[in-house]
Amino acid sequence: MLTGGRAGEVAGPGPSAPAGLLAELYEKHAAAVYGRCRYLLKDEAEAKDALQDVFVKVLQGLSGFRAAASPSTWILRIATHHCLNLLRARKALWREQIKALRADLREETETPDRRELVRLLLAAAPEEAQEVAVLYFVDELTQAEIGQELGRSLPTVRKRLQEFLDCAREALGVKLEGGDL
Amino acid sequence: MNLDLGGPGAGCSALRVRRLLAGELSGVEKERTEEHVRGCERCARVEREIAEEREALRRDVPFPQFAAAVAEKLARRPQRSFASRWAPLAAAAGLLLVTGSVLVLQHPDTDTVRVKGGASAHLFVQDQAGVREVAPGDALAPGARLLLSLQPAGRKRAAAVLLEPGEASVVYDGPAVEGTLPQAFEWTGKGVATLLVVLSDSRMDAKSIRSPADAPRGAEVLAITLRR
Repeated sequence: MLTGGRAGEVAGPGPSAPAGLLAELYEKHAAAVYGRCRYLLKDEAEAKDALQDVFVKVLQGLSGFRAAASPSTWILRIATHHCLNLLRARKALWREQIKALRADLREETETPDRRELVRLLLAAAPEEAQEVAVLYFVDELTQAEIGQELGRSLPTVRKRLQEFLDCAREALGVKLEGGDL
Repeated sequence: MNLDLGGPGAGCSALRVRRLLAGELSGVEKERTEEHVRGCERCARVEREIAEEREALRRDVPFPQFAAAVAEKLARRPQRSFASRWAPLAAAAGLLLVTGSVLVLQHPDTDTVRVKGGASAHLFVQDQAGVREVAPGDALAPGARLLLSLQPAGRKRAAAVLLEPGEASVVYDGPAVEGTLPQAFEWTGKGVATLLVVLSDSRMDAKSIRSPADAPRGAEVLAITLRR
């Protein structure tokens, strides 16, 4: 005999249950990770898959997670890194989107919102500049905070951000502004 | 044209708001951030975005499906590296991972059909101990909720039928989606039952499936044994 129900209606394990660790990680961090994956990948199915992959990585690197000064920052960096890797694998498509944006800007149609603009422009930048750009323009860390997070000097962080802006300017052919740069 | 990409503002930081809400700030930093957020429209917008993210997660990725998918991905990893590094963690997380398969793969018509790679099905159980994959010989606890996860390997249609002595119940009949099916189910019977999973390229009538022989020609049939 069988009874059914939506999977979503199944009660999650309580915090005191042995399954509490994954439930706790889900409760505290999954929403932010899913949000980051949806933002960068722009595809719900891919974002769900990436969310699971990120948590597999988190479970594998639990000692790093526990040692992190800010678990939220640590886990979002894992998510960002994972999604940027996926996007790099389809760089051609990503670059096509920049071309389309450039054409839109020439025609002076409505510009995309700030975060979407950053997402598109990441395609034009070198790898390390991409992560620094996400930390600066999306997570809104100061350059000093980014340096601390990545273990890089302030001049290096500034240089990476400048690289990102230079590549973005070249890709779009317009003047760009960003924070205190 | 001049485009503004944003960046951190005077006292504004999306990540700092996240850390505040996650309880990661303390002392002066916490007080300063709380005071700032109270009077800042930009940070209030970040708070709303965070609330929307939580809604999206609850709507799109409920915990049981998420836990089953994570457990499955961990289980698919090589046994050696997993066992040596993550077994204690998995146990703590309630993800009891098994390496043996509970599936018996049969090809009713292997002479005429080219098998499209390794189709598989995994059954996960959620009970008081958490979410874990059902291992061979596992006795299911009363009230345990079951989740079926498919790797259809290119097959278009899937049917899952629970076979008990004198009774057959359709668990699923629809597209062969990859991953955990949205519908959880509960087996209320006793003794032994078989969950028959049929993956096919053609449409099928799940209600007419009572044994592997009833599967469409060329279908892949996988059987999972349930015990209580």
